[in-house]
Amino acid sequence: MHAPTFIRWTAALAASALVLTGCGSSQKASGSDGSAKKITIGVSFDLLNAIRQAEKSAIEKATTEAGYEVVFTVADKDPQKQSSQIQDLIQTRKVDALIVIAQDGQQIASSVSLAKARNVPFIAIDRAVADQQNITFQITGDPVADGKLSAAEFVDAGKTKPLKVLELVGALTDQNAIGRRDGFNEALKGDPNVTVVSQVPTNWDPAQALDGTSNALQKNPDINAIFVPSDFLLPSVQSALKAAGRLAPVGDPGHVFLVTIDGDQNGCKAMRDKTLDADIATPVDDFGKQAISGITTALGGKSVSPNSVQTKGLSLDQANFATTSSQVWGCDGA
Amino acid sequence: MRSASQWCARALRRQPLLPVWLVLVLALSGLYGEFGTVANFRNIAIQASPLIIAAVGATFVIMTAGIDLSVGSMLFLAAAIESSWALASAPAGVVFAAIAATGLLMGLVNGVAVALTRVPALIVTLASMQVFRGAGGHITGQQNIDLPAHLRGIGTSSLLGVPAPVLLAAATALGGVLVFGRTVFGRYLQAVGSNRAAALNAGLPVRAVTIGAYALAGVLAALASLTQTARLGAVQPSIGDGYELTVITAVVLGGTSLFGGRGSITGTVLGALVLTTAQTGLVFSGASPYVFDIVRGGILLVAVIAAGTRWRTLAQALRPAAVS
Repeated sequence: MHAPTFIRWTAALAASALVLTGCGSSQKASGSDGSAKKITIGVSFDLLNAIRQAEKSAIEKATTEAGYEVVFTVADKDPQKQSSQIQDLIQTRKVDALIVIAQDGQQIASSVSLAKARNVPFIAIDRAVADQQNITFQITGDPVADGKLSAAEFVDAGKTKPLKVLELVGALTDQNAIGRRDGFNEALKGDPNVTVVSQVPTNWDPAQALDGTSNALQKNPDINAIFVPSDFLLPSVQSALKAAGRLAPVGDPGHVFLVTIDGDQNGCKAMRDKTLDADIATPVDDFGKQAISGITTALGGKSVSPNSVQTKGLSLDQANFATTSSQVWGCDGA
Repeated sequence: MRSASQWCARALRRQPLLPVWLVLVLALSGLYGEFGTVANFRNIAIQASPLIIAAVGATFVIMTAGIDLSVGSMLFLAAAIESSWALASAPAGVVFAAIAATGLLMGLVNGVAVALTRVPALIVTLASMQVFRGAGGHITGQQNIDLPAHLRGIGTSSLLGVPAPVLLAAATALGGVLVFGRTVFGRYLQAVGSNRAAALNAGLPVRAVTIGAYALAGVLAALASLTQTARLGAVQPSIGDGYELTVITAVVLGGTSLFGGRGSITGTVLGALVLTTAQTGLVFSGASPYVFDIVRGGILLVAVIAAGTRWRTLAQALRPAAVS
């Protein structure tokens, strides 16, 4: 056998093994008897991170309670890959319904159409999709409302001491990031005590958040408040504050007022450690429960009404932490 | 006076990017009072350090007419291993050695695959990019993990007032210049990148040189990861995502040809400094967040056009040696 042929065969075998392994790794919820065909839900996520893990757990918990099975896929932030995965879920895996977090709310339209053509209920969660007419149900957070809730914390704090705010912005292609930014800025408009002195994009990249915060603190040493649009950027911001000698706990005269959104483990730990003033927690448990409830309704032949729901976050601050943290998804083990 | 102008002319010929960077620094310092301070230059140097370290490694690869798209994923996998339970309580020296070995292994995987098969480096490293990121995700469970305090010194401590990341970046750049200009390996790199067939005919160890370049890039990506993660204080799933684009921009902006054979470590360092200085300048200018993307994209476009048209041909004709 010639070497190139051998290499080709080896590569083909390795690729086959990877494909088989990949197929085998799709997670199926435990079935009990296997006698009757269980309803299978195809789940397609845009990516996996802390909040997506929480959303995945919420879906798995709700499907187990409903007696359904789950086939789970992740698109690694690639809209084309997500489209192929959904096609595979519908045509090959023959799932009974879909729960999708779209990487791109516009490009997901072809997947929505395919699901509609095959009578597979399509449930969008977390990120809104453009094709509202052909989806079965949609439940998302309300990024604009979350931005406004964050701003309300700044307005309250500004009554005690005027605030000069550094506003970090997520990826400019992400509607959640834009919504949070717009809600925040709109709610602060006209407030005499709170001034946004610097607006820095992070592209949801912790390194850019770290460098951007350091640069803004260098340019405006009088910054005394920072709006962090996601908990996962909080360690970067705190590292920048520490490097600038500005990291101090809540209550310390040198404390920089901090508000974040998500309510993940980072945020809850910081709240508990009194290094964070407020966190607007996303209701991820609701996403799972209502998505499965929508599927049950749709599979029963009824339409889901209303077919689009927005749930705003829960304000967690130092005053209500003791009583409210139990309702926040990230505070379980933080 | 004459010697000063001669020095300027020589510097311009050797490093066309040097005056660009100096003008950028002077302009920003003139526009914004806080920009031209020691504290800010220190800030820029620290921020540029991980990029310099990773970009020096990428320069070796690009010099062979190769490309490494897995830099960002190597950064993440190294960080994931650093934060893993297996190393959580190990002494810093053991952890750093383990991460360097991880980088070497990742680089060897890329290098062996590129050197021993006819598959283009673009495809090989595109695949390894996904493998490394997937492995990192598996180790971290895609969760944010705080880094133990004893592992943060490499990003936050100082020696004689010089920040540790800056010392590491300077040592890496100096080592790169020496390897590039003063060793047989460096000369072989240029030969392989300039004309692979001729290098093979001349009996040069083309495969070993190629593997060596990728292995070096892997080790330096791991070192960049140690520095960056220590600065961040935590390992997060999005670490290094898209970083390969920034690294390649720095290398190409610095004058290294994407066709291989020509390049400069000093140019790469300047490329990284220009990118970081521009980024800092944008924050100081209070520009709209959308302008950041335009400037970043514009710099990449300039770099790619410059590489495509071989903008340094003129400078090349004016100077005796291509390597600094």
